[in-house]
Amino acid sequence: MKKFVRSLLAKYMLIIFLAIIILQVSYLIIGTFTIVGSNMHQQDDRKSENDIEEEWHKDAKYVHSATEASVEAFFDEWKRQYPEAGMFWVDGNGNLRLERDVSEKLPSQWNASYTAKFIKSRYNGDPFTVIAFVGDNEDELVVLEIPRSFFDPPIMKISEKYGSLILLGIVSIILLFVIVSFLFFRSIQKRLVQLQDSMELRDVDGLPIEVEITKRDEIGQLENSFNQMVNEIRESRKRELKEEQLRRELIANLSHDLRTPLTKVRAQAYSILQEDLSTEAKQAVKAIEASVEHIDRLIENLMSYTLLVASKYKKEPVNIDIARFVRETIANWYPVFEKEGFEIEVEIEALGEWKLDPIWMGRVLDNLLQNVLRHAKSGKYIAVKTEKHQEYDTILIIDNGPGINNKSEEKGAGIGLSIVDMMVKGMQLHLDIESSGKGTIIRIKRLK
Amino acid sequence: MQKVEGEWIVATILYVEDEKDIGEWVMQNLSDRGYEVIWLTSGNEIDSYLATIDIVLLDVMLPGLDGFSLGRRIKKQTEGLPILMLSARTAIEDKIEGLEFADDYMTKPFHPDELAARIEVLLRRFQRQNDILDLQHLIIYTKDMRVIHKENQEEIPLTGKQYHLFNFFIRHLNQILTKEQLYEGVWGEPYIEGDKTLMVHIRYLREKIEKDPAKPTIIETIRGIGYRVKR
Repeated sequence: MKKFVRSLLAKYMLIIFLAIIILQVSYLIIGTFTIVGSNMHQQDDRKSENDIEEEWHKDAKYVHSATEASVEAFFDEWKRQYPEAGMFWVDGNGNLRLERDVSEKLPSQWNASYTAKFIKSRYNGDPFTVIAFVGDNEDELVVLEIPRSFFDPPIMKISEKYGSLILLGIVSIILLFVIVSFLFFRSIQKRLVQLQDSMELRDVDGLPIEVEITKRDEIGQLENSFNQMVNEIRESRKRELKEEQLRRELIANLSHDLRTPLTKVRAQAYSILQEDLSTEAKQAVKAIEASVEHIDRLIENLMSYTLLVASKYKKEPVNIDIARFVRETIANWYPVFEKEGFEIEVEIEALGEWKLDPIWMGRVLDNLLQNVLRHAKSGKYIAVKTEKHQEYDTILIIDNGPGINNKSEEKGAGIGLSIVDMMVKGMQLHLDIESSGKGTIIRIKRLK
Repeated sequence: MQKVEGEWIVATILYVEDEKDIGEWVMQNLSDRGYEVIWLTSGNEIDSYLATIDIVLLDVMLPGLDGFSLGRRIKKQTEGLPILMLSARTAIEDKIEGLEFADDYMTKPFHPDELAARIEVLLRRFQRQNDILDLQHLIIYTKDMRVIHKENQEEIPLTGKQYHLFNFFIRHLNQILTKEQLYEGVWGEPYIEGDKTLMVHIRYLREKIEKDPAKPTIIETIRGIGYRVKR
């Protein structure tokens, strides 16, 4: 019940109810006003046509001597009682005498035929007409006429008098009702639009923000449900983050646990290498070291790959000066290539800012450069360049190695390249690999 | 590692590692290279050593206080002490967390030569030892940045900017430095593409320190990338 009272439905029903009541009450008021008003206008009880007719005849009868004074007194008496009434007197000679408020122009001389015509014309007409003889004298007539509306029920008289006013009242009540309804629905609409707007707002973490509950009606309930939903999403996001954290932690621990024995293997190998060894033994130990390094890379790649596939690899794109970024990356790799006797060519021109995650981009470049170092050693050549085209800018990594399809001594390049591919796509860039037996050109393109 | 007679001061390394085999091996190796090494298996008593050491090597996974917390605490207490994290945790997040306070982060398995090289770079960068650098025809005292020409034993006077520039190169020995890195490192302002200030200063510096400024051997130009002073 409490819920119902607070609901919009209840509110609107209240508006309709009030409208009906106002209409009813105004009719009631008008009615009361009429009755009271008519009582004020006519003190005595309302008389019917018959009553008046009888009375007129009776009173006329008692006007004995048909002198002007007595008729006038008689008329005065009636006039006082019925101010609306009109009356006149036709004496025995057919002369029209004593006219009072008569509705039409009357002839001054009356004969029998005119009288008959007059009676006929007035029969059942408006005004209501009563013709009576004065006293016992059947030659003299006194005529009373009262407008028919005098006998109408009071309400009709009011509607005649105040008709337009009442119409205006009704129209304004209906108008009021329409306006109130309009305002009511407009306020609902406004709140719904506001709710929609605030539902579309996003917090820094990309989640919707709770809305403020304004009223406890249906919209308020909607807002409440929305807030519950937001909280559920938040909860599940939290859970997801926690799971992600656990997963990351697990992978990190796993790789740590794998690397610790690996470090030991390397330590032992290094120690053996310090001893006086035969050439073959030295080579064997070197091979152990190379394998250790290889396993290390595999663990690293596997980790990244697992995280990437599960879309759990953090990405935080920022605007970076890409030319500078590439230059600094290649600067780190330069000594390694130099040591391996590579011819190194670097031609990087300014390409403006690219929006990407520097860690991802660094990883992509590292993997690609490492691939050159590992698989294209025989070419002894690496070039890192930039090119500007109409539709795109591109970073090129060129080597003179045996090509990607040509398996090099060290296998397992597949996963490294898969990581590069996924990361490049993840940063909305394009990877284009052109490889033949004479070398490989890798392009990282950014469409304009 | 080059030593100049009589001037060599041994650096002391504090090494925290709970893995016995790895710890022994690293300690042995670094001792062989002439460093004084203090090896602890946990960070519990670290405070008493901080005043006397030149560099800290920290493992991350330690019993008790982990390497990250330990490193932060050390950095807070003694800011001028270089810290090198040495960990089998290779995730980017770990590296980033480590590098928030540490000066270098190295992942296991590592090569001892690389470890020694990194230690040397850090010691030089923090100028924990007055290293005497024998660089072709120059002898450089890294702590006060005196540059001596070997042939006539005369000191080469450097102006303020030249001094800062050369010092920056020496602190990043063997590293290739881009124009941006050099400009921002020496001038402390963002580099604006096309600015010739750096090139002008490098030319002046070369005129002073190179035997033949037209064919520089001390400050190498790495085409397309930047410059390098290599030992």
